[in-house]
Amino acid sequence: MTTAPYVLELGVGALMLVVFAVGVLGRRPVGAIATAGVLLLAAAALALKPSGPALNGMFVQDGLAIFAKRVFLAATFIGFLSGLGSPDRALVRRSTEYHLLLLGSLLGMLVLASARDIIVLFVAFELMSIPLYVLTGFAKREPEPIEAALKFFLVGSVSSAIMAYGLSFVYGATGSTSLAAIARAPASPLLTLGLIAALAGFAFKIAAFPFHMWVPDAYEAGPTSFVAWLSVAPKAAGFIALFRVYFEGVGDRAAVWAPAAAALATVTMLAGNLMALPQTNTKRMLAYSGIAQIGYMLVGLAAASASGTAMILFYLVAYVFANMGAFLVVEAVARAEGSEATSAFRGLAQRSPLLALAMLLFLLSLGGIPFVAGFWAKLYVFWAAAERGLYWLVLVGAVLTVVALFYYLLVARSMYIEAPVRTGRVPVTPALALSLLLCVLGVVALGVYPKGVVMAALRVASPLF
Amino acid sequence: MRPPYLSLITWMPFVGALLIMFTARRSPLAVRLIGVVTTGISAALSLYLYVTYDREAALTETGFQFYERVALVPPLGINYELGVDGISLLMVLLTSIIIFAGVFASWTIATRSQEFYALLLALVTGVYGVFVSLDLFVFFLFYELAVLPMYLLIGIWGSSGEIRPRGIFAWAYRETGVGTKEYAAMKLTLYLLFGSAFILVGIFALYVAAGTASFSFLDLSSATFDPMLQRWVFLAFYVGFGILAGIWPLHTWSPDGHASAPTAVSMLHAGVLMKLGAYGVVRLGMGLLPDGAADLAWLVGGIACINVVYGALSAMAQRDLKYVIAYSSVSHMGLVMLGAATLTEAGLNGSVFQMFAHGVMTGLFFALVGLVYEKAHSREIFRMGGFGRVMPGIATAFTVGGLSSIGLPGTSGFVAEILTFMGAWRSEFRWWLVPAVVGTFLTAVYILRVAKQIFWGPPSPHFHHLEDARGPEWVALVILVGVLVVFGFVPGLALAPVDTATVPLLSRILEP
Repeated sequence: MTTAPYVLELGVGALMLVVFAVGVLGRRPVGAIATAGVLLLAAAALALKPSGPALNGMFVQDGLAIFAKRVFLAATFIGFLSGLGSPDRALVRRSTEYHLLLLGSLLGMLVLASARDIIVLFVAFELMSIPLYVLTGFAKREPEPIEAALKFFLVGSVSSAIMAYGLSFVYGATGSTSLAAIARAPASPLLTLGLIAALAGFAFKIAAFPFHMWVPDAYEAGPTSFVAWLSVAPKAAGFIALFRVYFEGVGDRAAVWAPAAAALATVTMLAGNLMALPQTNTKRMLAYSGIAQIGYMLVGLAAASASGTAMILFYLVAYVFANMGAFLVVEAVARAEGSEATSAFRGLAQRSPLLALAMLLFLLSLGGIPFVAGFWAKLYVFWAAAERGLYWLVLVGAVLTVVALFYYLLVARSMYIEAPVRTGRVPVTPALALSLLLCVLGVVALGVYPKGVVMAALRVASPLF
Repeated sequence: MRPPYLSLITWMPFVGALLIMFTARRSPLAVRLIGVVTTGISAALSLYLYVTYDREAALTETGFQFYERVALVPPLGINYELGVDGISLLMVLLTSIIIFAGVFASWTIATRSQEFYALLLALVTGVYGVFVSLDLFVFFLFYELAVLPMYLLIGIWGSSGEIRPRGIFAWAYRETGVGTKEYAAMKLTLYLLFGSAFILVGIFALYVAAGTASFSFLDLSSATFDPMLQRWVFLAFYVGFGILAGIWPLHTWSPDGHASAPTAVSMLHAGVLMKLGAYGVVRLGMGLLPDGAADLAWLVGGIACINVVYGALSAMAQRDLKYVIAYSSVSHMGLVMLGAATLTEAGLNGSVFQMFAHGVMTGLFFALVGLVYEKAHSREIFRMGGFGRVMPGIATAFTVGGLSSIGLPGTSGFVAEILTFMGAWRSEFRWWLVPAVVGTFLTAVYILRVAKQIFWGPPSPHFHHLEDARGPEWVALVILVGVLVVFGFVPGLALAPVDTATVPLLSRILEP
């Protein structure tokens, strides 16, 4: 069958049409349909087998692409599920818009994961990014979301422009848009310059340090179930694109990028962790902590090896569950308390012990504590870096996890040690509870038995080198 | 087939924690009984192992006894591998004594006692695990398990200091919350996790450098490492474990943490966890990196000397009873590290014996301070007086502990200190003896001062209504005092097995 490689992309396209049609007719069940559709597609992705290059090698459904697509679809499913039955007025009223935009961005990611051609890559990148700007400013009658969306859009456009400029150099140096051909091309100053310029674009998308300014504002302003998704899925997509452009097929020359990645990792970990310290709003705290998490993934990138790449993939999976989970708890608490401040969590352990326990697990996972997913994630990226002799980077990263634990533990302190201000349980909608449960299961299962995912990640990452 | 004794000892408290979480809702007595039974089983088993430990076998073939091994992640060389030698066996026994006494000492805890006992028992599993695991990776996992519950234990059930800071920096203390339990809990957790970062890097470095794709202590100890690498990794282990052992200047978490923690946690932390740091330096640092240990002994010993004197001087300056005991731990941990740094048989035996003796002694002190606080509602030394009349049992126990702390013959402290002094005298740096002796002298000053003020001074009319220890509390005191005296009179009980482990360890360091 010739459509087999694109089945997921076609599926998302079809789902968008259905959502649109239902939305035009009457807007009640749009969310449920979109959620069910994504679940179906995720199931299809699980059954998918790698196949060879298609469209003259521009599109490839290899193991890496399938791995990434499963992560995107799982994240989108959790994101959609958590928004079902949300009392957020804007989300209810403009449900069709919300789901269409998000699916559009998802389509961009799916294509991006398979792109092996710089034109396809760039188009997919923009398809992924543009709906994000709109969704950030979703609450269009309030000033903060508009400001955040504008900031996001301006910084995003500039970095896209730089990336396009860099990619034009790459084309000029190699005479081809195919990444396979570019990888084989002899090294030249122009090619290196082009790739460095393109790196700026990727760094913006994954929110590495000097390109991170949009993150806190966008996270604070956007609807939380969208932000939970925004904090994980586009970043995962950005990393997949990085692997495609910088690692795939270049063999030993991948090591050229190690010093740049190590430097980026160091500043990103430092900046993210230090800037997260003074935050009193949990969404902003999670935004900065997310920047730091990207820094840890970049440690794996600095290893510039198959194991480093695989460990980033594992890290991304762990990060999806932990970070989305943390945002969703914030969503539940913020709905009940009307505040996203850390103080809104006071005494949560006595009001809703299970919700507090879930949050504790997510925070410990983000902090890298044994028996939850994040521990193995950090351990494995450090391991990959240690294999390459980057002990100093491991030490910097390991010491900074202590800084990170400080701000994570501040939330734990609010929940467990301080006395509650109000009494009564924090209400959680069934859909939100279910998505939280999924996240908890993910974090704990990966923490207790990481081997399956690690092996899968190693399998898909090794053909790149 | 021999039952897996070490696993039973290690996981029994954890089973207790689970039972408490899931079965004993709303029944405080059941919670305590589960605690007593599970830690009691562990204690009985560790006593049994201690008695049946085969010294002859340990002397003829180097080896760990009661060995267990289950493959966990074979491709990476991670195994669940347990075993004990003379040193770790003594530490396991110490842990059992302290936690068994600790369960009794915290009998009267009132708020959220179910969670308290569950966390405490989970923590103990981590401590046992560190002492018995031979796989460095599993070792690290247990280490983290031993550190983390501390945050909640201190944060929720701890007590904030009652003595307000004064002077020009008072505002800084107020702003940061110095002296409060939240501050102490956070400081302790972050310090110890900071240390664990160094340990992790050290373990990785050894794993990669050995190239055997194994985390097993046995495999790594038969590998030879480059001297330069040895030095760096030893330094990493020394800093990482040293933070837990309270080395100067990274010790400041310890007084704050121990003073703020609830009684059983202080006992466990000062009594066992700080020893865990020293144990890590001896086991991983000296055991795996003989050249690094030999090269850096001057550093370890020099800093230990500062610890001894500085800790004792700080203890003299305190007005809060719990801080006195906490700083005395810093001082005594200096003696532990000093004994190890001498690289002599006497010194290292003294060091290990000091770990045991000081563990029991400081456990006793913290149990007593907890009792005094609970009855008199004060920890401020100069507000209390003449308690000897109303609580003779507690006063006697405190005096015995104090005499052991000073190192009076007939107590465990004497054996430990005399061995350390002998080691220092025979070591390369003879002058280490001077700070060690000065530290002992200062210990006598602050211990006798406290004992006189609180217990043996003139009775105060404010405190007539106070009572002596009761029921379960007696159990804790009797066990701890008994151990101190028995091991003081018959030090061979502990030294015989320890010797079988220290001699081979030293021979690797001294003979290149």
